[in-house]
Amino acid sequence: MITFLFYLFALLAGASALTILFVRNVFYGALSLMACLLSIAALYVLAYAEFVAVTQILIYAGGIAIVILFGIMLTSRVRGVPLVVQHNNLFGAVVAGVALFGLLVTVFSHHTVTPVPTSTEGTQTLQPAQAIGVATLTAYLLPFEVIGILLLIAAVGAMVIAGSLKSKQP
Amino acid sequence: MADTALLYNPTTLQTFALLTLLLPLLSFGIGALISERYAWAVTLCAPFLVLLSLISAIVVAATQWGLGTLPVAIPWFTVYGYTFSAGFMLNATSVCMLVIVSLVSFLVHVYSTGYMAGDAAGKRYFTMLGFFTFAMQGIVLADNLLSIFVFWELVGFASCTLIGHWKDKPQAIVAAKKAFLLNRVGDAGFMVGLMLVWSNTGTFGLQDMALALADQPVGGWQTAAALCIFCGVAGKSAQFPLFTWLPDAMEGPTPVSALIHAATMVAAGIFLLARMSFIFTPAALDVVAITGILTAVVAALAALSQHDIKKILAYSTISQLGLMVAAAGTGAFGVALLHLVTHAFFKACLFLSAGSVIHAVHQGQHQAHKSFDVQDMRNLGGLRKRLPFTYITFILSGSALAGIPFFSGFLSKEAIFSALIGWADNGWRWLVVVAAFGVSFLTVLYTYRMIRGIFAGDETVTADLAIAEPPVIMRAPVALLAGASVWFVFALNPFVCHGWFLQYPELPPHHTALTIFSTLWVLLALGAAGYIFRSRNPFESALLRNTFYLDSYYEKYIVRPVLAVSGVTNRFDYKWLDGMIHATAYGQVTVAHFVAWFDRVIIDGMVNGAAGLARSTGRFTRSFQGGKIQLYIFWAVLTIIIFLIWTLV
Amino acid sequence: MLPVHHLLYLGALLFTTGLMITIIKRNAIMVLLGLELMLNAANLNLIAFNQQTPGSPDGQMFALFVIVVAVSEVAVGLAIVLRVYRYFQTAVPDEIRELKD
Repeated sequence: MITFLFYLFALLAGASALTILFVRNVFYGALSLMACLLSIAALYVLAYAEFVAVTQILIYAGGIAIVILFGIMLTSRVRGVPLVVQHNNLFGAVVAGVALFGLLVTVFSHHTVTPVPTSTEGTQTLQPAQAIGVATLTAYLLPFEVIGILLLIAAVGAMVIAGSLKSKQP
Repeated sequence: MADTALLYNPTTLQTFALLTLLLPLLSFGIGALISERYAWAVTLCAPFLVLLSLISAIVVAATQWGLGTLPVAIPWFTVYGYTFSAGFMLNATSVCMLVIVSLVSFLVHVYSTGYMAGDAAGKRYFTMLGFFTFAMQGIVLADNLLSIFVFWELVGFASCTLIGHWKDKPQAIVAAKKAFLLNRVGDAGFMVGLMLVWSNTGTFGLQDMALALADQPVGGWQTAAALCIFCGVAGKSAQFPLFTWLPDAMEGPTPVSALIHAATMVAAGIFLLARMSFIFTPAALDVVAITGILTAVVAALAALSQHDIKKILAYSTISQLGLMVAAAGTGAFGVALLHLVTHAFFKACLFLSAGSVIHAVHQGQHQAHKSFDVQDMRNLGGLRKRLPFTYITFILSGSALAGIPFFSGFLSKEAIFSALIGWADNGWRWLVVVAAFGVSFLTVLYTYRMIRGIFAGDETVTADLAIAEPPVIMRAPVALLAGASVWFVFALNPFVCHGWFLQYPELPPHHTALTIFSTLWVLLALGAAGYIFRSRNPFESALLRNTFYLDSYYEKYIVRPVLAVSGVTNRFDYKWLDGMIHATAYGQVTVAHFVAWFDRVIIDGMVNGAAGLARSTGRFTRSFQGGKIQLYIFWAVLTIIIFLIWTLV
Repeated sequence: MLPVHHLLYLGALLFTTGLMITIIKRNAIMVLLGLELMLNAANLNLIAFNQQTPGSPDGQMFALFVIVVAVSEVAVGLAIVLRVYRYFQTAVPDEIRELKD
């Protein structure tokens, strides 16, 4: 059952990703991205990473994809006509892509990944969310704080860069 | 001559001789350099300068006469160690000729001021007249053959320009060209003679030559050299067959004809014969004699049927020159010179008188606005009433020409006959003597015909014209010359030629029988003339008038083939030689084009290719920075992939 | 347990696709899209490996941080794109060649 779901969502993710690649309509691309993100979230769930999956749905699919859609709308000049983009560097990109894919597949197929046995010394089996919460405030406290500052900076920076809609200064 | 011994100072003599030579040159220089505005000054200046030259000539003659030869030599230039010198040789012959040339030139100058008054190119005329006088004196004074040759050519040039003085008359130009060409033909022989003489004696100086030849045996080269020099004489002195230029030279003004073609230039040949007398071997002398007498006969026959008065006089000149040459051919060079001198005077007088007639009729014709050929005898006639003075001068000089006793011509002709008879010792030479007598007969005939034609009878065409004697300035020289045609100028005895002139050179033996015979002969000829020419012009012969069509033979057999050959060579030169040059030029241009192509395409191509290579390389490497961020991403990723492939696989 | 290798292959495919999108598309927003896809592919890898070590949540922590960083990056990136679009009046990166020398 899990295997079937896995393959289903994997197929979905792959198909939507390829859709983004082949489709010329930007809007369709953004929607395909959302579909891809959701499929990946489903995969996360199947991989016992529920917290990350939810976060993915909330932030990625619910935030970033929408923001990207906003961006698409704001940067399209023509009203009423769907925004269609051309492709360029097709040959180079195909070469690079195929090379990279081949490389990665080759590398991955040569190595085996063995599961690391868990240590059973007095650790309660925590729920994943609990484990994440604990790790955040103990082992990853510094990155957690830094990332907060990063978010602040990014938000402020984005606001500053975007500026007021009326200004024409670069 | 005692009082003149004081003057016998070589330096003074040299100075005067130099003056005689150079004063006419000064006249030429003034005429050439002065502008056209002062042409009248030249007309005054030229006769004056020639008068001064005449005075110096008389001084020289007076001092040098009777004395030996005075050589004066100035080194001129050096070639290969041999020095050519220019100098004077003053002996009796040369001083005599000096005076004659100056005198006749002066008289002609004076006459020309009247005759050529109103001519537009008067300045040019007097300039060339002065130049001619200078060149002629040069021939007379020169002491070496090279100088003589130089002045010879100059005289020919002066004659040519003076014949063609009226440049607008096409016949004048043709005549000038013909004169020059025939002279040139003679001069070619002269040059060969020069070369022969120099190669055999090693010198050009006349005295040195004479010395060198005195002790040499008579060789074949001497005859050859003598005949070659005689070629020059034949060209200049109008002997057969090179005489056809002289009748055509009558296209020039009459004073020019008087000076050049009667008195002086044509006499230069005789003068040269006398100067080079030592080189003439008996064989050469025979040729000379035959040529001379042949010329005399042909010309006398031709003169008989001419209508143009100047042409009659021209043929008469040729005939008399022939007699002079024949006399020279007998070895009696002094006799030839005597006849030269007498001929100079009476022929100049005849020409100038004819000029007076032409001038007077031309003036009358001009006023009445009529036009007919004034020189044609058929238009003249009966002018003795209108031009009495000219009539008298004509008769005086004509009698001298005809050789009537009591005139100078008789004396010199006598001398010629006695020389000829003295020379004639075998068969064919007697033919020459007979021919000479025949020539004198014919001379009387045509002279009578001419005088009768101009002056006797009634006026026809000229009847209603206002004809008057020319001005005094033209009559005076004529009178002087006519006076010189009578006997007492040359010898006290009218019948014997041993006068003050012929005392110096060798004198031919005097036969009283000859004198009587020649007197009777002349009177017979006069009678015959009176009889034949009762009516006007019975003597019509186209053959004689055209001198046996000699000119047309020349034209057909010599001139046209030469022109044809020159046409062929011209075409050859044009097509082939120029063609070769053009071909090389084209080849050059083609090679240049190829080289340019090579340079442009290959060499520049290489250079440009290198630059282009650099440019494309730069462009390629620059394309990485094209500003397209997606390309940046692409290249970076590709590099990483390659790196990864390299390290991981 | 999901088959790890297949996850990894999927991750590789997503990454490659994301890269190609970044390079091919002539729109600045699509470039951002590609970047997102690449980041997600990396996340997938992380979660796949995390599955092999059930005891520690390191993989998930890493994935979370990646998500946060991606968010901030998208925010700033989009702000820049908007700014650039406002100035150059075009959303095609190829037409903006100020970097060219």
